[in-house]
Amino acid sequence: MDLAYTTEQQAFRAEVRAWMEANAPKAPLVTLEREEGYHQHVEWERKLASGNWGMVTWPEAYGGRGLDLIQWLIFEEEYYRAGAPLRVNQNGIFLLGPTVMEYGTDEQKARFLTPMAKGEMIWAQAWSEPGAGSDMAAITSKAIRDGDHYVISGQKTWSSRASFADWGFGLFRTDPDSKRHKGLSFILFDLNAPGVTRRPIRQLHGDPGFAELFFDDVRVPVANRIAGEGEGWTVAMATAGFERGLMLRSPARFQAAAERLVKLFRACEAKAAPAAREQVMQAWMDAQAYAYNTYAVASKIMGGGQIGAEASLNKIFWSELDRAAHRTAMQLLGASAELRHLDGGALNAWLEGYIFSLSGPIYAGSNEIQRNIIAERLLGLPR
Amino acid sequence: MDFTITEDQATLTQGVRDYLAGVHTPELLRALDASDSRRSDAVWQGLADMGLPGLLVPEAQGGLGLSLLDAVLIAAELGRAGVAEPIADTALVAAPLLAKAGGQEAVLEAIASGEVKVALQHPVNPWVADLDGASHILSAKDGALLLAERSSGAELLDSVDPLRRLYAPVAAKGVTVGSADALLDHAALIAAAQLVGLADAMLEQATDYAKNRSQFGQPIGSFQAVKHHLATAAVKIAFARPVIERAAVALQDGAASAPVHVSHAKLAAADAAWAMSETAIQTHGAMGYTYEVDLHFWMKRAWALSGAWGDRAFHLARIDAAVIGGALPIGPGHSFV
Ligand SMILES: Cc1cc2nc3c(=O)[nH]c(=O)nc-3n(C[C@H](O)[C@H](O)[C@H](O)COP(=O)(O)OP(=O)(O)OC[C@H]3O[C@@H](n4cnc5c(N)ncnc54)[C@H](O)[C@@H]3O)c2cc1C
Repeated sequence: MDLAYTTEQQAFRAEVRAWMEANAPKAPLVTLEREEGYHQHVEWERKLASGNWGMVTWPEAYGGRGLDLIQWLIFEEEYYRAGAPLRVNQNGIFLLGPTVMEYGTDEQKARFLTPMAKGEMIWAQAWSEPGAGSDMAAITSKAIRDGDHYVISGQKTWSSRASFADWGFGLFRTDPDSKRHKGLSFILFDLNAPGVTRRPIRQLHGDPGFAELFFDDVRVPVANRIAGEGEGWTVAMATAGFERGLMLRSPARFQAAAERLVKLFRACEAKAAPAAREQVMQAWMDAQAYAYNTYAVASKIMGGGQIGAEASLNKIFWSELDRAAHRTAMQLLGASAELRHLDGGALNAWLEGYIFSLSGPIYAGSNEIQRNIIAERLLGLPR
Repeated sequence: MDFTITEDQATLTQGVRDYLAGVHTPELLRALDASDSRRSDAVWQGLADMGLPGLLVPEAQGGLGLSLLDAVLIAAELGRAGVAEPIADTALVAAPLLAKAGGQEAVLEAIASGEVKVALQHPVNPWVADLDGASHILSAKDGALLLAERSSGAELLDSVDPLRRLYAPVAAKGVTVGSADALLDHAALIAAAQLVGLADAMLEQATDYAKNRSQFGQPIGSFQAVKHHLATAAVKIAFARPVIERAAVALQDGAASAPVHVSHAKLAAADAAWAMSETAIQTHGAMGYTYEVDLHFWMKRAWALSGAWGDRAFHLARIDAAVIGGALPIGPGHSFV
């Protein structure tokens, strides 16, 4: 264990910091859950790519920098330190990207990874269906083979960013007689293809952040299938692993929130409830603990190790610390917490943040499902 | 930057774990509980033969010269096995402090060979553990740390932990060997590591019990409520561990921020162990409420160590001064610096 950064790592941090200071937007963008904000965020994604910062851990051949996970963590720290915007392309770069890297053909890698890293293809994830949320194996949407195409019919829902995104990836039943986990395939589709209808769904905050997707005999080339026909579940589980695991939520995001919370507490200390003081400290402690753990996991992976069901520990920890930190902020704000615009100006980031934090324990596999995984796979309790 | 333990460290830890699992059994704990002294020369000798007292003693004095990071890994194993002998205080707290002080070769050699036990007293603790069996005593006084041979006898207090031996403090005297704060930080860190080991052991006991106890025709561990209690506790334990390791490195390096990290470690570990003890007893049902299952030895040690070497309020106050008070840089980019 050596917790000091190397000279190269420090130099890298300085490089990221300088670029971010020069390029990160000085004023917050409009939320990416609205069309205007979405396009602002895509602009930012392209600017990042112009500096080759789109996805630093990817090989240079796909628009990355070939950096290791510790460098990625340093990058993320500087990213959040600069207050840079959320990644509108996170489904692509953090979920689909690693999946294509692991299971895609060379042709698929060339076709999808580079535009992803360049911010030219923004992705939506289309797994959930009205009747298949936690029970994802209950998927009924079909993709029926017709020559070198699949014909997709059915419905997906709660698909983040699908109201505005370019492409989607999802699981479809390629064997119509199959049941549960079998007979599913992992297919990429153009959200602008004929037969795709998007119905934006207003989220809790009122913005049309995610969408319901209707497929009416949508023709998709077989070449858009990742891995073999019927192997979709295995591939999707790998993607879900990326989602819960390391990359979806880098610790810097929570360290930034904890720092803001400490500042908020200092500003309203005089009227704060006694318990708030401890909750603020807990937010800092938990964000730090999450950071240490992430560095430990990154070190382990770099040393040839793997992250398995432990990813479920992470997912529970970050989602619950995030909710608690934002709840504390709401309580500190007291009567002002309900205002959508604080001081008549920018959106109330704590309110927006609290609303969003409520979804953390739901998406990426609800925390109840994660607890089942921990109990059964890590502790070995019977099903 | 590399946040992994080395293969050597993993091997050593596993060795200690296996050894303790073989000799330091629940049956032994029960036998000690039934004894007058609650201490066993044979157990101490066994630990000494294994080389535990000398882990942090410099090689020149017959030890292994390991670091505080090794110490927390071993302390967790002592917690896991429920070891109550004053091995953590002597080997993992006193030894590195005396090694750092310099000029204490004779005591260190005697620690390494298992001849010497050191009791620790500090104003943050109203009581002193294992005073009667100690040949030496390290005392905090006016900010300094003093080493002396133990002279006077002491009055035994009754702890909830049947294997814990507590005494009223004695007058502090001796030669200066360091600072009182160093003693506090080292001891709090080692207590935190033991707490995580205790929590791990309780998780294992409760999980085993949940696999074997049947109600409604199935193992209670197949019920989701039970699963979720245990999974929740597992999350807390998992996230206490890296905090302790981070604190060990900071303290070993003499980082100015080390006390904050030690306090964080103590709070995280005590929270995890305390929560785990409640989860474990709930999982055991009425069985857990008896003196007959092993669980209570671990649970009571967890209560004891949670309050020792700085209670919740004490460590929160240190976090408060650093984080809310602004002494420590916080936010992204300040994970380690
Ligand atoms: C902000 C947000 C973004 C999302 N983005 C996407 C996206 O981009 N793409 C996509 O495909 N989906 C997305 N989702 C959907 C998400 O994956 C599902 O909401 C999630 O899998 C849970 O499914 P559900 O909503 O149907 O809840 P349900 O499965 O109906 O669950 C409801 C409640 O019952 C509990 N429950 C269900 N089954 C069990 C069980 N076996 N044991 C214990 N408790 C159980 C759940 O934990 C939950 O508390 C998103 C959701 C949110 C909130």
